[in-house]
Amino acid sequence: MSNAKPPSPPPLPPVSGPGSPRDVPPLPGQFPIDPATLPKPIRDELTAPDPVAIDTSAKELKDGANHCPKCGATDIRHKHGSDLLVCLFCRNEWQGARVEEEFGLGSGLDELSGTIIASGAKDIAADSAHLMSFKCSGCGAEVTVNTENQMTARCHWCRHVFGVNEQVANGAVPDAVLPFHIKKDDAIARIRQFVDKRQMFALKAFKEQFTPENVSAVYLPYMIVDGRASADVAGQGEIETARYTRGSGNDKKTYYDADVYAVQRHVDFTVDDLPLESSSERGNHDTSVNTNNIINTILPFDTKNAVKWNASYLHGVSSEKRDRDVAHLKPRLEDQLLSIARHQVVESVSRYDRGVRWEQESLDVHGTRWVSMYLPVWLYSYHQPGKNGGMLHYIAVNGRTGETMGSVPVQQWKLILAALTVGTILESIALWILAN
Amino acid sequence: MSDDGSLALLLLGPAGATGLYWMLYRHYRNTDKSHAFEHETAVEAKPVTGSEHKVDEVKGTRESSIRGNNVGAYRQRVQRRQDDS
Repeated sequence: MSNAKPPSPPPLPPVSGPGSPRDVPPLPGQFPIDPATLPKPIRDELTAPDPVAIDTSAKELKDGANHCPKCGATDIRHKHGSDLLVCLFCRNEWQGARVEEEFGLGSGLDELSGTIIASGAKDIAADSAHLMSFKCSGCGAEVTVNTENQMTARCHWCRHVFGVNEQVANGAVPDAVLPFHIKKDDAIARIRQFVDKRQMFALKAFKEQFTPENVSAVYLPYMIVDGRASADVAGQGEIETARYTRGSGNDKKTYYDADVYAVQRHVDFTVDDLPLESSSERGNHDTSVNTNNIINTILPFDTKNAVKWNASYLHGVSSEKRDRDVAHLKPRLEDQLLSIARHQVVESVSRYDRGVRWEQESLDVHGTRWVSMYLPVWLYSYHQPGKNGGMLHYIAVNGRTGETMGSVPVQQWKLILAALTVGTILESIALWILAN
Repeated sequence: MSDDGSLALLLLGPAGATGLYWMLYRHYRNTDKSHAFEHETAVEAKPVTGSEHKVDEVKGTRESSIRGNNVGAYRQRVQRRQDDS
């Protein structure tokens, strides 16, 4: 018997056809087709890296209890008018970490690339629920928090205070929160002042029921976006070359001559902290059916001062939950970036004294960074009965700057009467002039 | 007085009534207000570049500005070119 090693068999030909490994679903992260064989736009999308996430979760608060760093008590509140937290047991005060420094959100705009999403801005899980239960570490009782409108609760047996501090996948916990600075008395005064200037034609029922003391503090969900983009616009502009009159007396008319230019402009820019409503209801600014544009008008906020998420800032304050993901908000972001670009190029076309008609525009978004944030708003609301459920009117006060805007329902007949009276007086004057 | 002038004077009443109605309505309801993100967002832009060349001349028009002037209407979208990202 020979000890010689038998020659190794030739490699098998690649298996294909029914029953072959090609019929097996690809492993997660693998594509069934070689991306290199696909057209470039599809290949680029398939092979693009997943959105980068910045982890902003507060792991030290994961059990729901926010302990005072000095005495360990959990009865922590926000100190009104400041960004401080205060322990109601030992009166210790401390400041939450600002997210700008903590996660480096204020820098690197020039190098933004791809889509960077902070962990609180990640997509909302399809099976998410509103209710969250905590097991009280003090007495073992079950404490439930409804994340739809509140973020803290107190154990009704041992008075332990819990907050939803873990970043649950239901959009209730953002990356950061901007604490209220404007106090309730100040908000009431601003709302009263706003309405006092609009008394004469206000709806009678509104005036009778006006109680600004009912204003409520609400944290509203926003996506704060940094971006780096390039935009191009093209169109025609005209420069006046001559102006002259023809005719005489009352038939005198002015005529213009102008040179017409084809104009094109390009601008590269970065935007810092652009706020977008991340609730579909608040993002709907259709003024024929709602008054959400009022809340939009009190933007912007000093988002640079936002602190790392801590539910203790929300004690006793209601909140609204985010229901929009980054992908939903991208078209609105692009629309706003195009508007910003159009604003940026205005000065460069000032020589076209007869104006410019932009006909085409394009946008290239190189990179974006998305952070989910709760912003503080004082909201006074009044429901005006009417068709299709009536209209909910808001008077909103920015919880940081105090900027106030509102919608006051009008008494239509009064408004029409005033307009008709003025119209009649003007018409009488016109007829008198014509008669003389 | 010319026909045009008389007509303008006769329209003074209806125009005044409509104008006053809208002015007061907007003062109360503020339907035209929104966040001016174009001005109020921190934007860092590199110098604007571009090109321009004369393509035509207009003679004897009565319009005091270019037709469809939208240079200040930043939010009015125009045709979006296909090479977008």
